[in-house]
Amino acid sequence: MTVALQPSVLFGLCGAALVGIGLFAVVSSPGLLRRIVGCNILGAGIFLVFGAVARRGAGAGFEADPVPQALVITGIVVAFSASALAVALLKRLAEPRSDA
Amino acid sequence: MTAALHATTPGGFLLVLAVILPVCAVLAILACGPRSAARIAMATLAAGLAVAVAITVELVWSGAALTYVVGAWRPPLGIALRADGLSGAMLVMTALVVVAVGLFARVQYGLREGGGSERERTTFWQMLLALWSALNIVFVGEDLFNLYVALELLTFAAVPLVCLDGRAETANAALRYLLFALIGSLLYLLGVGLIYGQYGTLDLLALARLSRPDPALSVALALMIVGLLAKAALFPLHLWLPPAHAGAPAQASAVLSALVIKAPIFLILRLVLDVAPGQVAFLAGQLLAVLGAASILFCSVMALRQARLKLMIAYSTVAQIGYLFIVFPLAAGGAGTSPWETIAWTGGALQLISHALAKSAMFLAAGIVIKVYGHDRIADLGGFGRALPISATAFGLAGLSLMGVPPSGGFVAKCLLLTAAVIEGYPWLAVTILLGGLLAGGYVFRIIDKALAVSASPLPSRAGVPRRLELTALALAIAAVLLGFVPLRPFGFLQIGRSGLAMAGL
Amino acid sequence: MSAPAFLLAAVPLFPLSLALCCLSNWFRARALALLVLAPLPALAAAILVPKGGFAIFPPPFRLTLVLDEPGAILLAGAALLWSAAGAYAASLMARDPGRQRFTVWWFLTLTGSLGLFVVGDVVNFYLLFTLASLAAYGLIIHEQSPPAHRAGVIYVALALAAEALLLIALVMLAAGHPDANPLIRSVVMDLAASPMRDGIVVLFILGFALKMGLVPLHVWLPLAHPAAPTPASAVLSGVVVKAGVIGLIRFLPFEAGAPFWGSVLIGVGVITAYYGVLVGVTQKRAKTILAYSTVSQMGLLAVLLGVGLANADPEAAHLAAYYAVHHTLVKGALFLGVGILAVTGGRRFRLVFLLMGVLALSLGGMPLTSGALAKLATKPLLGYGWLAGAMTLAGAGSTLLMLHLLLILRHYAAEDAATSPLLGQFMPWLVVTAASLVIPWSLYPAVAGEPAASLVTPDALWKVGWPLLLGAGAMLLVQRWPGRLGMIPEGDIVVLAQTGQPLMRSLSNRIGEIDVHLRRWPAAGLGLIALAILLGGALMLRA
Repeated sequence: MTVALQPSVLFGLCGAALVGIGLFAVVSSPGLLRRIVGCNILGAGIFLVFGAVARRGAGAGFEADPVPQALVITGIVVAFSASALAVALLKRLAEPRSDA
Repeated sequence: MTAALHATTPGGFLLVLAVILPVCAVLAILACGPRSAARIAMATLAAGLAVAVAITVELVWSGAALTYVVGAWRPPLGIALRADGLSGAMLVMTALVVVAVGLFARVQYGLREGGGSERERTTFWQMLLALWSALNIVFVGEDLFNLYVALELLTFAAVPLVCLDGRAETANAALRYLLFALIGSLLYLLGVGLIYGQYGTLDLLALARLSRPDPALSVALALMIVGLLAKAALFPLHLWLPPAHAGAPAQASAVLSALVIKAPIFLILRLVLDVAPGQVAFLAGQLLAVLGAASILFCSVMALRQARLKLMIAYSTVAQIGYLFIVFPLAAGGAGTSPWETIAWTGGALQLISHALAKSAMFLAAGIVIKVYGHDRIADLGGFGRALPISATAFGLAGLSLMGVPPSGGFVAKCLLLTAAVIEGYPWLAVTILLGGLLAGGYVFRIIDKALAVSASPLPSRAGVPRRLELTALALAIAAVLLGFVPLRPFGFLQIGRSGLAMAGL
Repeated sequence: MSAPAFLLAAVPLFPLSLALCCLSNWFRARALALLVLAPLPALAAAILVPKGGFAIFPPPFRLTLVLDEPGAILLAGAALLWSAAGAYAASLMARDPGRQRFTVWWFLTLTGSLGLFVVGDVVNFYLLFTLASLAAYGLIIHEQSPPAHRAGVIYVALALAAEALLLIALVMLAAGHPDANPLIRSVVMDLAASPMRDGIVVLFILGFALKMGLVPLHVWLPLAHPAAPTPASAVLSGVVVKAGVIGLIRFLPFEAGAPFWGSVLIGVGVITAYYGVLVGVTQKRAKTILAYSTVSQMGLLAVLLGVGLANADPEAAHLAAYYAVHHTLVKGALFLGVGILAVTGGRRFRLVFLLMGVLALSLGGMPLTSGALAKLATKPLLGYGWLAGAMTLAGAGSTLLMLHLLLILRHYAAEDAATSPLLGQFMPWLVVTAASLVIPWSLYPAVAGEPAASLVTPDALWKVGWPLLLGAGAMLLVQRWPGRLGMIPEGDIVVLAQTGQPLMRSLSNRIGEIDVHLRRWPAAGLGLIALAILLGGALMLRA
C-alpha cells in the first residue's frame, strides 16, 4: 500500500497512464489536430516516466541526478518544435481549402 | 570505470567539424540572405567532403576508432563522439550522396525555367545542410539521448524537403510522415528513459559492457527498435514513405530515400548487435528478419504494380531496406566470432551503401525524365532512352545494382548475404534474397524496356536539360557499380575500431 | 605477361574495350565495321595458345583465364561464327537507324559469350554469363516489333530465373571454400564431398538447361531467336545457347560421376531431342523451324553430357564440345543462309539452295558432312544399347525437320530473278559454310582417336546413311498431312503459362488491397503497437 504511494511510483503510474491515453488518441483519432494533441500527451507521459525513473534509478550514485532533468528539458524543447512544425503544416493544409 | 572507454584521440576534432560545419553554413545562410545560399552551400559541401575523407584516412592510418569527448566531460555526464570503420564508411557515403545531390540542385536551380521560387531554393539548401549535420551526428554519436536529438533534427530537416513545392498533396504527405516519425521517436525516448533508470548511463560503449539480460532492457530495446522501425518505414510500417518520397522534388527524394531512412537503421544495427546481449537478441533478430523478408517480397510486388515511376522507386526503397534486416540472424555469429567479423555484416554494410548510391542515382534520373516529359506515368515514357540516353544509362546501372547483377555493389552485398544464409543454414532467407532479386529485375526491367522501346508519339525536346544535370546521376550510378570491386570477404575497413567494443563487451 | 596470356586476356577484353570505346560518339558511328574484328583475338587464342595456357589477373580484378581442350574447340567455332556474322551484320545494317545501339549490344554479348569459354574462376564465370544473357536482350528486341518485345520480356524473365538458380548453386558450391573467388576446377573437385551435392547439381542442371533450352524450359528459344535480325539469330542460336553447354561441362562432376543425375540429363535430353522435331515440323517460318532444331540438337548434347556424367567419363566433355562446334557452324550458316535466300533470285537461288540443302542435311547426319562426323565420333560413347538406337532415330528426326525446312525455304526466292545478295553478306555465309564442312574433318582425328580415312569406308557410310533415308521416308508420310502447319503456336507451352496469368493478376491485386489497408493510419498505428509487444516478448524469451 505504501509502495504505491511513493512519489516515484505514483509519477511512473501517471506517466504510464498518459502514455496510454496519448497512444490511443494518436492511433485512433481521424482528425489531424487530435493526433498532434495526442502526440503531446504521449510526450508528457514519457517525460513524467523519465523523471520517475531517474528518481528511482540514480544508477550513477547521485543524490539527485541532474542528467534526467537536463534530458527532459531538452526533450520538451524538441517536442515543442515538433508540435510547431506539425501545426504549421496543418495550417498550410487548411489554407487552400478555406480559399476554395 | 568509464574513464578508459572514451578518450579524445588526435584526429577526434574532425568529428566535431563534420557535425558543426553544416550547422555553421545554415546559420551563415540565415545571416547572409538567400542570394548567397547556393555559394555558401557549395563551399560547405566541398569542405564537408574533405572532412569525411580525412576521417576515413585517419581511420585507415591509425587503424583505431576516432573519439572526441565533448568539453572533456566524460560520460555519463558528458557525451562522446566516436567513429569506427562502419561510421567512417557511412560518413563518406553520406558526403558523396549529399555532394552529388547538391551539384544536381545547383544546376537545376540555375536553370531559367523550373528553377523554383527563391524561397524554395533557400529552404532546400538549409534543409540539405541541416540534414547532413544530423546524419553525421547519428553516425558518430555515442550517447542515446544525443542520438534522439539527432534523429529529431533529421526529421525536422526531412519534413520540409518533402513539401518543398508547397502543394496540399505533399503537405499532407509531409504531415503524415512527421506524425508517424514523432510517435516513433517518442517510443524511442521512452526506451532511453528506461535504460537510464536501469543502468545510469546512456553511452553505447558503456552499455555494451554493462548490459545483461533483464526485463527492463528488453522492454526498452523493444520500444526503441520499434520506434526506429517506424522512422525507417520497414513493412508494415511503411504507410508514410511512398507518398512522401514520391511527392518530393527529385533532389529531395534522392537524399530522403538514400540517406534519411538509413540513420534509424544504423541505430537499430548498433542496438541489436552491440547493446543487446547475444542470447537476448537471438529471437528478436529472427523476428526482424521475418519483417525484412516480408518487406522484400511484399513491397517488390507493390513496386511492380506501380504505374508511376517515382512511386515505383519509393516502393523499391522499402523493399531494399528489407535486406538490411535479414542481416541480424546471419550476423549473429557463432561462438568465437563477433558479428562484424562475419560476411553478413560486410554484406549488410555494402547493401546499405550501394543502395544509397543506386537509389539516389535513380531518383535524380527520374527527376530529369519528369522535367523533360512533364509526368512520370511509366506507360507513356516509351523511348525515353533515346531522348535522354545518359539518364537512361544511369537508371539502368543503378537498376543493375538493385537487382544484384554483377559487377555492382548490390551484387557483392547480395552474394555475401546469400553465402551467409547458406552457411548459417537459413534456406528461407536464401530463397527470399533470390526472389527479391527476380522481382527487382522485373520492376527495373519494365523501365529499361520502356527506355529502349520506340515511342508512338514524337520524343519531347530535351532543351533546358544540360548534360551536367544528367552526369551527376550517372556518376552516382557508376559509383554503385564500382563498389562491386570490393572483395567477397569480410572487409577489413568495416572492422576498424570494433575490437575495442569486443573488449568492452567482455 | 607472356604472349599466350596476352592473347587469352584479349578474348574478353578486346570486345569489351570496343564496347567502352562506343561511349565516344565518333567511334560509335563507325563501330559497325569493327564487328568482324572483335572476335579475332579469340580465334587466334583458340588456335595459337597451347592447351592448358592460362592468365591470372591480380586483385581487384581476380580474373583467371584458362584454355583447355573443350574450351578451345568451342571457342574456335564460336569466334569464327561471331566474326562472320559480324561482317554480315555490317553489310545488312549499314543503313539501319538503330545500328549504333545494335553495335553496343553486339559487343557486350560477344564479350560474355566468348569469355565464358576461357574463364576459370567462379565469380567471373557468373559475371560473363550474366553479361551474355542480359545483353542478348538488346539484340532480340532490336526490330522493336510487338512480337520482338514479347519475346524479349519472356527471354529476360527466364534469363533472370536462370541467373538466380546459378547464383545460389555457385554460392552453395563456393560456401565452404576458403578462397572467396575459387577456381572452378578446384570447387568442382570438392563437389563430390559436399553435403549439398545433389542440391547443387540439380540447380546447375536447371540453370544451364534454361540457357540451353531443354524441354520444358525451352519456351523462350523459338520466340527469341526468330525475332532478332538475321546475324543476331545466327549467333544466338549458334553460340549463345552454348553458354549452357560450357556451363554443364565446367560445373558437373564428370570425374566423380553422378549416375542418377546423369540419367536424368539423358532422359530430359532424349525428350527434348524428339520434342523439338515434333513441334518443329508444325511450324511455318524458316527461322522458327531452325530454332526448334536448335532445341532438338541441344537435347542431343544433353544426352552426351548425361552419359558422361552417369559413367564418370570426362571424355564426354570433349565429344560434346566437338558436337557443339559442328552445331555452331552449321546452325549459324543456316540462319545466315535464310537471309541470303530471301534476297537471291533466278539461277543463283538454286545454287544457294543446294548448299543450304547440304547444310541442313548435315544436321541430320548426311554422310561426309560434319554431322556424320559428329555422330560417328560420339557413337562409342553411347554404346550399342537402347540409347544408341534412340539417338539414331533422333538423327532421322533431324533429317525430317530439315527436309521440312527445305520445303519451306523453296518459296523464299526473291521475286525478281536478277536480285543477288550483297557480297558483304554472301561472303561471310560462304566462309561459315566452308568452315562447317572443313573444320570438323581437321578435328576428327584428335577427338575420335581414329584417322579420318576410316570415315569413308562403306560401313561407316551406311551407319550414318540409313537414318537419313528413314528421315526422308518419314517426310513423305508427314507431307500428306498439311493440316499440321501452324497447328502449334511458336513457343508452344508458353501458351499454357498464359492461362496462369489471371491467377497471378488476382494475387497481385490482392497484395495491392492489403497494402491499402496496411497504409491506413489506424492499421499502421496498431501494427506499431503490436510489433512493440512482439519484439518485447521476443527479447524477453531468450533462446
